[in-house]
Amino acid sequence: MTIAPPRSTTDARRVFFDARPAVAAVDLSVRIGGLTLANPVMPASGCFGPSLGRLIPVTELGAVVTKTVFGTPRGGNPAHRLTEIRAGMVNSVGIPSLGAAGYLTGQHPLYLALGVPVIVSVGGHRASEYAPVVRDLRGAGDAYELNVSCPNLDRDGTDIGSDPDAIGKVVRAVRQETDKPVIVKLPVLVSSITDCARAAEDAGADAVCVANSIPALPLAPDTRSPLLGNVIGGLSGPNIRPIVLRLVWLASRAVQIPVIACGGIETADDALDYFSVGARAVQVGTASFGRPFAMVEIARALQERCLAAEVAVLAELIELWRD
Amino acid sequence: MPTTPTDTSAVTGTPVTVARAALDALRRQQAFAAADEAALDGLIAVRPPARMPRPDPVWDDAVVLVHDVVGERYRRLVLATDTIATTALAGQFLMITVPSRGGERILLPRPMAIHRRHPEQGTVEVIYGVAGRGTTALVDVAVGESLLVTGPLGRGFEFPCPAEPDAAEASGTEPQPARTALMIGRGVGVCAIMGSVEDAAAQGVVATVVLSGRSWANLIGLSDCAELGATVIPVTDDDGSSALPALGELLRGLFAATPPDVILVCGAGVLARLAAELGDEWGVPVQVSLEAHMACGLGYCHGCAAPVATDPAVEGPLVCVDGPVFDAVLPIAAPAGGDNVAG
Repeated sequence: MTIAPPRSTTDARRVFFDARPAVAAVDLSVRIGGLTLANPVMPASGCFGPSLGRLIPVTELGAVVTKTVFGTPRGGNPAHRLTEIRAGMVNSVGIPSLGAAGYLTGQHPLYLALGVPVIVSVGGHRASEYAPVVRDLRGAGDAYELNVSCPNLDRDGTDIGSDPDAIGKVVRAVRQETDKPVIVKLPVLVSSITDCARAAEDAGADAVCVANSIPALPLAPDTRSPLLGNVIGGLSGPNIRPIVLRLVWLASRAVQIPVIACGGIETADDALDYFSVGARAVQVGTASFGRPFAMVEIARALQERCLAAEVAVLAELIELWRD
Repeated sequence: MPTTPTDTSAVTGTPVTVARAALDALRRQQAFAAADEAALDGLIAVRPPARMPRPDPVWDDAVVLVHDVVGERYRRLVLATDTIATTALAGQFLMITVPSRGGERILLPRPMAIHRRHPEQGTVEVIYGVAGRGTTALVDVAVGESLLVTGPLGRGFEFPCPAEPDAAEASGTEPQPARTALMIGRGVGVCAIMGSVEDAAAQGVVATVVLSGRSWANLIGLSDCAELGATVIPVTDDDGSSALPALGELLRGLFAATPPDVILVCGAGVLARLAAELGDEWGVPVQVSLEAHMACGLGYCHGCAAPVATDPAVEGPLVCVDGPVFDAVLPIAAPAGGDNVAG
């Protein structure tokens, strides 16, 4: 069966770029410390790179977030680094990094050229390793997101972010190095998200990001052999949303600083779910792989929802569900 | 080509015996795949910077014009996507997002080689094997529906490529483009080389194409090569002609007088190694196209680092942006005597 090919003169990407909305009378802005983002939509660290800027109008995002930068170069994990099972995507890329110096010369200029605030994700394997990375970044970036979901070599590989004392130590040390906004990206597996979020706030963080992928072990259904080179990895995608929604709800009740939600967001409705339980901004990760334009679509849809509800500020739209 | 172990239908006995046999067969398949991948060890080299600029990738809602069965295990898609059809280079690939239908959600797009480009019709062809959850769900997409595709992606075959640029520089002459080419594809890996068969036809390059598969019914590319005027050497597992020693002997005989100017290969690690051996014997460049699990296709997810032995602090090249086509060069053998310790 064959049907006549419709000859298009363009492609869907071009049409999408051209559909950029006129400046609307809706205020979607959000403040993270001293930084104002034009809207609350940004990528999750590791799920964005400057090369995506060729496929979507990045200037319609609130910010971009870099892949985590470590102090020294790392190669990352052996293949396979990612897989997809019924439960979702599982990755164990192992955060390859050029190191702080390599990031500054090789990557940062490309992020800067995107024309939106750049949030640099920072990693370490000991609580003491984060502040030196921020120092070595020498002021590059508009804010720092501390990826504390890294195995803590001081404590047998448990996540730094699952230990409120370690979170406090990391944030206080980073605070000494920068006046820019500091965001703490918390892991999922913590005994108390309340204690972890408060530890970040008490130590001077400007926001917390909740949460990261969920530790998981994907097996081949037939042979029951591991699907990842590293055996274990992090589960992401829409199925983790209710788990992270709970964490965002708990964290939002515990702290005054903004909570940035990250977990399975694919649509504006998913983002509004998180806003309704207290989130002030959202990060989009796995959804961008299948639909590169997902983030921009969410930002546009939030504006349209506000217009349709005849509210001037996103917060007013969210209030509608709180009544 | 060693035969892929698959058939366990003849096994009878208690349910436990049957289950054990099935599992053993799967494990043998796994070991076979691992051995095939191991054949690439030390073989992959990143090429020097490309001389040819790559087209900007786009994403598009590509209408499915044809979706039919090819052989016993493959499906062919003809997709209407004007920009990609007119810009794609030989050996580039697409990321195809599998639409949600029924209960199955497929999150990650699947990388697939562009098999044919028809710029005058604004279409591209893709052939895929039905293997896992993603491709099984893709089978349900009907003619007239559209698929979200991103591409063209990656660094394809540089062909017709100049012979040894270093040698050309040394001799002070301009690099000479290839006039003859040997292309080797196995299974769905044939698709990666078909763009080069198209280029060869358009530029008057004499192409000899080895099409390898499990059986005659599962050979991809016979009609394409016939249309493009390439000489085809079909080889299959079921008559033993795909076995590496037989194929190696055949090719050495065929090109004994005049070797091809370049070898392109895709679809099996052991074939890439054979190609590298032939390239070494003949002193001609070999380019291999690799497959990898990937999520973005653009270089930012870092899911697809190539199997290149490097310093643990340095990430290997990425199959999606540094490849999928790499140089295949035989590793320099360790000196006889065993101790390979630098002095």
